[in-house]
Amino acid sequence: MEALNKSFKLFRRTLIVALLSASATVGASVDDAQSFALQSAEPYVKEGFQVREDYWGGDLGVGEKKAVRQQLFKGNEYWFWLGTEVERSKISVHIYDAEGKLAEQPDSWEKGHFAAAHIIPKTTGSYFVIVEIEQSPEERTHWALVYGFR
Amino acid sequence: MILFARHLKLGAVAMIALSIGARGAPAPQHIDIKQLSKKVEDVVVPLPNEVFGALNKLGPVNWREYVRSDKGGNFTERPRIALVLGTVIADGFIAVQAEDAPAVKDIGQRVLALAKGIGVGNSITPHAKAIIEAADKRRWDNVRQELDRTQNSVQNAMNEVHDEKLSQLVSLGGWLRGTEVLTAVVSKRFSTEGAELLHQPDLLAYFQKRLQAMPEYNMPLIQDIQGALVEVRPLIDVGDTRISAESVKRINQITTRLDEAIVTKAR
Repeated sequence: MEALNKSFKLFRRTLIVALLSASATVGASVDDAQSFALQSAEPYVKEGFQVREDYWGGDLGVGEKKAVRQQLFKGNEYWFWLGTEVERSKISVHIYDAEGKLAEQPDSWEKGHFAAAHIIPKTTGSYFVIVEIEQSPEERTHWALVYGFR
Repeated sequence: MILFARHLKLGAVAMIALSIGARGAPAPQHIDIKQLSKKVEDVVVPLPNEVFGALNKLGPVNWREYVRSDKGGNFTERPRIALVLGTVIADGFIAVQAEDAPAVKDIGQRVLALAKGIGVGNSITPHAKAIIEAADKRRWDNVRQELDRTQNSVQNAMNEVHDEKLSQLVSLGGWLRGTEVLTAVVSKRFSTEGAELLHQPDLLAYFQKRLQAMPEYNMPLIQDIQGALVEVRPLIDVGDTRISAESVKRINQITTRLDEAIVTKAR
């Protein structure tokens, strides 16, 4: 029964994402972008990452960047997942330390309207997560950034 | 249904496959942080269990020592209820670390009562139930997730009625209780790695800025917290220097006093 419920929940989530894809440009919002960011996070939950409910979001033009300041703790491992509902866009997310030095792991990745950055902080303190809309057919592109840790 | 579940698993595999060979243009190795100053979003306040998790990796902690599930007082001032709510949610994370199911269940009830007291009970009821059910089944990851959802729902409900300041006090209450326990654990068995977890100057600056923007909450407790943060800041904003054992003890004294003032005293 539990397996059935899980499958149903997964089906529901997949259906929502599919519907969002179909209506990407009609009445889209940051909440839609968040659904895609969470979709990127899903496989990592199975690896023990706890995904925060809180998230950042907004909209940006092509070439625009946004920085998010985040307190990270040495000893933890973090993934930041970025998503947008604009399928033909290309987005990126990167992590820098307080001195502006690139601090992410080499397995960070970006693929179209999904991107993710991985960090195992060397020190406890503030880091900057930089999000960017590199290409998009839209004038303004919604984005959402979620993170998880373990 | 089995076939369907397999199809979904394939979806997850496909997502993992995205990450293979999915590098874009290389990111610059260095950026000028000062140029970003006008584009920086506010910090998301970490959950207490983010720092507890890091603490666990430094050595075993007897979390039962820090479990607190007493009912506490009943308060009527909304800012105080918000602060208490934050501390109680932090207590929930401590009880999860200790895997203390009865304490978690009591905390679930307490969260619900406080949320009702502040007018956001409806959004919390399902989470409180989920916390209690998950504690009964000892599914600690689920309890952690529900505690996070609880805090998020409370804050969203407050934000919806333009009570953002109360929402920030929930975060502050949680941070103060988390810092109290962090400093207690590190004081007991000092290590520079443990003390380094207190290196949170931007977070402290964030709370100070938020409190300064709350002149309408002209109550001694809030003023007390503001004064205490001024005292704590130089102890943790030490640049490349290590945070000393004396500083950790002093921060513990300060946060313990504030926590007691929040949860017990009628001020």
